[in-house]
Amino acid sequence: MSTLFGTFLGPMVQLTIDGKEVAAPASATIFDAARAHGIPIPTLCHMQNETPVGVCRLCVVEAGGRVLTASCVRQVENGMKVVTNSDRVLAARRTLLEILMSDHPSPCARERQSGDCELEMQARNHGITEIRYPKRYFTRPKDDSSLAIAVDHEACILCDRCIRGCNEIRQNLVLGRMGKGAGAGVAFDLNTPMGESSCISCGECMVSCPTGALTNKRIAGTELPIPAGAVPAEPEDLLELPVFKGVSGTFLEMNKGAIVKRSFHPGDVICREGDFGSTAFYIAEGKAAVSISTPMAHVKTHGGAGGWFSRLTSSLIGRDSDAREEETSQGYIPIDASVDLAYSNPVAELGPGDLFGEMTCMSFYPRSATVKALTDCTMYEMLRNVLDILLKNKSFRARLGKEYKRRALETHLRGVPMFSELSPDFVERLMDNVKLIRLSPGQVICKQGEPADSFYLVRIGFVKVTETYPGGELVIAYLSRGDSFGEIGLLGAGARTATCTALDHVELVKISADDFNAMVDQFPGVRRGLQALADERQRQNAERMAALGTISLDSFLGQGLMEAQSLLVLDLARCTRCDACVRACADAHDGITRLVREGQRFDRYLVATSCRHCKDPLCMVGCPVGSIRRRNSLEVIIEDWCIGCGLCARNCPYGNINLHPFQVMADDPDNPGRRIAMVKQKATSCDLCTEHAEPSCVYACPHDAAHRVDPRKFFSELLGTKV
Amino acid sequence: MRIDETHRVWLVASIVILGAATAVYVIYALAAPHGPSGGSPIGLVFGFTGFGFMIYAGLLGARKKVPIMRLGRAQGWMRGHLWLGLLALPLILFHGGFHFGGLLTSILLWLLIITVLSGVFGAILQHYLPTVILERVPMETIYDEIDRVRDQLRVEAEGFVADLCGGGVPEAEAMALVPEGGIRAGGFTAMRPRGGGGVQYGLTEAEVEPVRSFFQTEMLPFLLEPSAKSSRLGDDTRAVAAFTKLRMLAPAAAHPVIANLENLCEEERQLTRQARLHKMLHTWLLVHIPLSLALLLLSVFHAVIALRY
Ligand code: HEM
Ligand code: HEM
Ligand code: SF4
Ligand code: SF4
Ligand code: FES
Repeated sequence: MSTLFGTFLGPMVQLTIDGKEVAAPASATIFDAARAHGIPIPTLCHMQNETPVGVCRLCVVEAGGRVLTASCVRQVENGMKVVTNSDRVLAARRTLLEILMSDHPSPCARERQSGDCELEMQARNHGITEIRYPKRYFTRPKDDSSLAIAVDHEACILCDRCIRGCNEIRQNLVLGRMGKGAGAGVAFDLNTPMGESSCISCGECMVSCPTGALTNKRIAGTELPIPAGAVPAEPEDLLELPVFKGVSGTFLEMNKGAIVKRSFHPGDVICREGDFGSTAFYIAEGKAAVSISTPMAHVKTHGGAGGWFSRLTSSLIGRDSDAREEETSQGYIPIDASVDLAYSNPVAELGPGDLFGEMTCMSFYPRSATVKALTDCTMYEMLRNVLDILLKNKSFRARLGKEYKRRALETHLRGVPMFSELSPDFVERLMDNVKLIRLSPGQVICKQGEPADSFYLVRIGFVKVTETYPGGELVIAYLSRGDSFGEIGLLGAGARTATCTALDHVELVKISADDFNAMVDQFPGVRRGLQALADERQRQNAERMAALGTISLDSFLGQGLMEAQSLLVLDLARCTRCDACVRACADAHDGITRLVREGQRFDRYLVATSCRHCKDPLCMVGCPVGSIRRRNSLEVIIEDWCIGCGLCARNCPYGNINLHPFQVMADDPDNPGRRIAMVKQKATSCDLCTEHAEPSCVYACPHDAAHRVDPRKFFSELLGTKV
Repeated sequence: MRIDETHRVWLVASIVILGAATAVYVIYALAAPHGPSGGSPIGLVFGFTGFGFMIYAGLLGARKKVPIMRLGRAQGWMRGHLWLGLLALPLILFHGGFHFGGLLTSILLWLLIITVLSGVFGAILQHYLPTVILERVPMETIYDEIDRVRDQLRVEAEGFVADLCGGGVPEAEAMALVPEGGIRAGGFTAMRPRGGGGVQYGLTEAEVEPVRSFFQTEMLPFLLEPSAKSSRLGDDTRAVAAFTKLRMLAPAAAHPVIANLENLCEEERQLTRQARLHKMLHTWLLVHIPLSLALLLLSVFHAVIALRY
């Protein structure tokens, strides 16, 4: 009998349960004693491995007192007479279940998923078919912010099992109670959405929840196909990996289909740049090379100097032979892995413990680079729900977090000429102090006008920088991997001059004001560089502000257009919408038109240049290698390392970006070591047929509606007469 | 093409040519013993010149097929087309001495008259309609995109109504609506906030019912078939009345949504208008082009026959 209660029992007491004489340790509860002797008592809020709290009262029994008592918390006493199934007890339980059910969105998510919502099961077992109590008249919210777990406060019965799972069992201290009375509920941190809270996605709360209040998310496509050479990853294997330490086994079991174990042989291509995907890879063993195979070059159009058949041709030219204004001088290419690639030699090595494909997996961006196995490799390929579990894992963060910080600081800080003078030991100091922070889509990082307290480096994702003007909001930039922000506020302005928002799943390296100040104090060169940058940005801000004092934001963007070299405008009072211009453009550019008759309008003119200076330049969102950005003139420039994935072309609402195919020599995927001719694409936009005396569209318009104009003259006349 | 001061040279030149031709014709017609005739030397000169102008006019079509060949700017060709094409008519009338002649020549002359008149009609449309489109269709889109924009408007409207009234498109259907590639290009489609998304209006079933039923019975059919005459939403003033009434039935909290719906209807009407104006601006060419080609072919035939026999 001693085995029933474990080894340390203490003094024993005698009692009867449902007429049966039993012995139990004095410290046991009635529920434990009954269970030890095979007498079932239904429970809801009680779980074997958690401290009993006795809140649901479903386990009530008669124990001799005037009122029924909750058996999960009530200690046994010598000579106690317990009845677990009298009519009085059963009636009480039924009433209770009926009240709980009246508040329950039956069938709840759990009931629908697996038919085992504990509350609904208990109600069924107690023969409750009809609920006589009125429904609650208000609704409780759902929280969809976590990638792995769906929260439905409607279905929560306030049993606190999740809270105890999170705090007692896993000691994560994320979950707690909030609100009072009818408004009570469970809350993550200080009632933040689960996805934004300090939750580490261990899954314990979900495994503990008796109802559909916390359920495993089954997002579309959570089953990975199992390709050749792969086996499903067993939860036991995964728990062996340090990166999954502390995760609930049940939780992993539930997400089993979303992670597979794959083996690769040297030369195998694991993923290819520009491809679409939805998975990330974790390297368990072996080494892989990550590289970009597209030529480093942009599209340049030639020909057309004279003659009747002066068709233009486009070719690829690198920045050594054709430096365009305002190209970046940065020496590396940001990719979707923990390393970055050097511009001069875009190849790097990944090894055990490395993770790549995070952005593809979290936000479905195209693959940023090609990864090939160098040795025999074992990798885990996973979908975003599992990646989320992994990324939030404490031991994973402890291990890789340090590595990430180091790489982020090394490449993004020291790689930028401005920061190159930082000494290794200062970087070391930063490493200990900086924080990695994760943000979910839409989360605001800092607000215009707030006091500035830190400097940030973007490690993953896109940050939208907006400024508010009297006439509305203007997106100044989309910052991506490797970009930094926050220096203006720290270098004197004191307050944030722009609002920064996470656009997707963003991870930042946060450098506190103290460390930042120490850095600029110790390295005057860095201060000068940053100061110059901050001054320039502020000067631009001031200019924008001054300009906006008098005109609307739209007209202001028109002023942005003025900075352009020259503009193509269509006079809509003349244009018969015959599309001769569009056809001419296509004819001039190997059959691909770069002109679309839609865009910003000024008075009776439609502006149709290479870029419309959108308030919100969506083309820039998602470029997996960060090769498209705004120039100071607000036009778009596409850097030479564009891999031709085409995302920007799809994202530009005006179709102003096109992909131009070129034949290039590249590695043959089937015969490693051999090179074959392949078609690679490069993104490009209207070049105003600069090689011609007149753009083809203007030349071809029969109605004198298309004009190439000098923006300054054109707009000063237009605005001058209009305003 | 808009007829503006850039046409002055052409206008003057045309008047000069016409004046000279008339003078020659009058002298020649009075002097000729049997009256003017297409076969006389002067008649032949008129015939050839007129024919030349017609050919030049017809070549506009050919020129437009090779837009980037540096054969002169398309607008130069267009101006020539208008004025020389116009001059072709009096010249040919002088050529035939204002006779219609036999069957072939009658057909020719009628073809020429219709072609020129249709051309003049088209030129008038092209002079006025672009401004009308500009003013009456501020939300103009690319003509070929109209259907797609309409689909988007419908999805948007359904979204607004679903946000207000709850329910709405089941997830599976919503997924099906996402265009191929849309989901994958998550950067854009997936993250772009949809108008009004997730706003809690705090209204009861009964309060949102008028909006829902208006949408189901009136607006959705209109969005699905915006050019149907039967719907009052297709008419500017009646649509205003319909929405004013809806505003009175629905609580104030729903008014922003109603305003959105009203805007969507307005855009639908503009698109209908755009389609109509666009067709007007282009369908006359269906008369002008085939007839002009027939005219050119038959003219060659007539010239060959007339010179041979
Ligand atoms: C007698 C001779 C004429 C011939 C053979 C002729 C022939 C043609 C042809 C073949 C086109 C089609 C061009 C294309 O492919 O887009 C055309 C277009 C046109 N024609 Fe004529 N035409 C004649 C006279 C005229 C006259 C007298 C006018 C007006 C005063 C006129 C006005 C136009 C206009 C406005 C277009 C539309 C051009 C565009 O929108 O791009 N035509 N004509
Ligand atoms: C190169 C061009 C042309 C040549 C060489 C030419 C030649 C002639 C000749 C020789 C005649 C006199 C035949 C007769 O009196 O029976 C004639 C008559 C005529 N032609 Fe042409 N012609 C040409 C173009 C045209 C064109 C383009 C048109 C009309 C669109 C046209 C319409 C007429 C008409 C209406 C007559 C008058 C028939 C009559 O008086 O009975 N011709 N032409
Ligand atoms: S060619 Fe000229 S008239 Fe035709 S659509 Fe283009 S701008 Fe308008
Ligand atoms: S610039 Fe455009 S095509 Fe090139 S890699 Fe970036 S998103 Fe892809
Ligand atoms: S954003 Fe300017 S063209 Fe795409």
